[in-house]
Amino acid sequence: MHFDFTEDELAFQDAARRVSADVLKANAARYDDTRDFCAESLRALGELGFWSMNLPSEYGGVDISSIGMSLAVEEIAYHCAATCSSLTAHFLATDSVLVGGTEEQKQALLPQCATGEKLGAFALTEPGAGSNPAEMRTKAVRCEQGWHITGTKHYITNGAFADFLVVYAKTDEDLGHRGISAFLVDRDTAGLAFSQPEKTLGLRGSHIYEIGIDCVVPESVLLGKEGAGFATAMEVLDRGRVEVAAMSVGISRAAYDDTLAWSQERVVSGKPLCRHQGIQWMLAEMHTQLEAAKLVTYKAAAARDSGQRFSLESAVAKLFASEAAAKVTDQAVQIHGGYGYIGDLPIERYYRDARITRIFEGTSEIQKIIIGRAITA
Amino acid sequence: MKVLAAVKRVIDYNVKIRVKPDNSDVDLTNVKMALNPFCEIAVEEAVRLKEKGVASEIVAVTVGPKAAQEQLRTALALGADRAIHVETDERVESLGAAKALARLVEEEQPGLVILGKQAIDTDNNQTGQMLAALTGLPQGTFASEVKVEGETLQVTREIDGGLQTVELSLPAIVTTDLRLNEPRYAKLPDIMKAKKKPMDVKSPAELGIEVASKVKLLKVEPPAERQGGVKVGSVDELVDKLKNEAKVIS
Repeated sequence: MHFDFTEDELAFQDAARRVSADVLKANAARYDDTRDFCAESLRALGELGFWSMNLPSEYGGVDISSIGMSLAVEEIAYHCAATCSSLTAHFLATDSVLVGGTEEQKQALLPQCATGEKLGAFALTEPGAGSNPAEMRTKAVRCEQGWHITGTKHYITNGAFADFLVVYAKTDEDLGHRGISAFLVDRDTAGLAFSQPEKTLGLRGSHIYEIGIDCVVPESVLLGKEGAGFATAMEVLDRGRVEVAAMSVGISRAAYDDTLAWSQERVVSGKPLCRHQGIQWMLAEMHTQLEAAKLVTYKAAAARDSGQRFSLESAVAKLFASEAAAKVTDQAVQIHGGYGYIGDLPIERYYRDARITRIFEGTSEIQKIIIGRAITA
Repeated sequence: MKVLAAVKRVIDYNVKIRVKPDNSDVDLTNVKMALNPFCEIAVEEAVRLKEKGVASEIVAVTVGPKAAQEQLRTALALGADRAIHVETDERVESLGAAKALARLVEEEQPGLVILGKQAIDTDNNQTGQMLAALTGLPQGTFASEVKVEGETLQVTREIDGGLQTVELSLPAIVTTDLRLNEPRYAKLPDIMKAKKKPMDVKSPAELGIEVASKVKLLKVEPPAERQGGVKVGSVDELVDKLKNEAKVIS
């Protein structure tokens, strides 16, 4: 097993670290405070090519390994997890096109998604279908002009800010998950009703919406083959879970770094916090959680790069890294005491931002189901 | 016009510097290295000159270990067209670097050489000036503005108490101050493309020079740790301490 990153991977990490520290950091607290959409930070990443990390060069991408991409995602999340979430949601949309689209659709859309001109959203989840997408009720029925799509999607990151949505809908209600297809729906299509952004616990700069859909779209927006939507979504989520793991690592690392520094400065009972054994043990636990989370994440990314199936590895990474983020950010608050509970420091934001990583793109419980099935198959 | 932009590999400015336990040098183990910020400004200025149509080719050069190619690659990602690496594992100081650069100036015949005014590792602030002396070219140091007008170069210099503008004939040497420009970020596609740009590797022997320093490094010590402050009870006590302890007034 090799533990060295390539020159390209390190260059991407470095590029992400710089823009994250210079641009994302400056906006992060404001987005959290005002709940404004992370437009500026997201745009800055787009201009520098970060929207293209999941794409091969034939579609305007940069041919970076999944490890390099994970390192960059980690750096972005380190200073602004909200921006990171909007970026990775964009990857879910463009991954859908990459995995399920026709050659023509990929050529037509992906290059603009790579340069930051077009932002995507991934519309799979519904009020009654989260962990169980096969039970979705949004349906698409053939009509004279193409397809008539009706239904409701929920928790759709980027929603109203996106230029296009990848909408998953049932095209055959008798076929269960094999009856699901995906559609490339332009944001300005008549019949899309966006809610106000949801009032979220964390990632406040990354808006999520409920979307009411009653629209007619042309035949050409069917993504790839009819009935292939579920398989596309599952592969896209396998890919996306590596990024959620990387994002969790980024949040954990921010909380850990700040807490370690704090523990060396803050003096209690005549000595710095870090000289108290009780605190040292907590720091040791945080450090170990973080190290282990990094390793499973990089391993999942390496598995993805290998071209083999990586559902197991990505589920392991997502489960462990998100649970680690919960523990690490919780201990960060604990070690900071009252200072960790108020908004003057970013500690309470890390704590809130980390919470969703155990829920979105498959809850921890769903990851355990995936892992359990894989290891007992 | 061809522009030669010299760059140096230094410890990243965000890193907290540690000295080796035996005080022989700064500890570089597992320390993140980066392009010297002043050199980054030099590369940025060269790229801007090219964007204005003044420069036709940018050649990034460095003198240092193999790993310094990372910094050349950064310069290539930022917009340099090709790179020259004078590879050596010797500890290179200003004069060694200036000698190597002087040989490259002879070979490449650039219209302008642009360097950072100093590197943030040893803060010597000498290489540009030494290069000017070795090549006999005019120099504009501490530049906060650079304007090429025909065959001449106007350099605004940051000096004590204000700005001074000098006019140099080309070819010339310019060293950059902090306020010359704000360097751009490298774009990801450009980082990938940088790998495909040409990079020449030369040894000091091929250039017919020696770069090893003749200065012996005796000892490196971290700055003294700051002592905590004290509260004084009265102005008299303060004056007394300033006189007798700090000895800053008499």
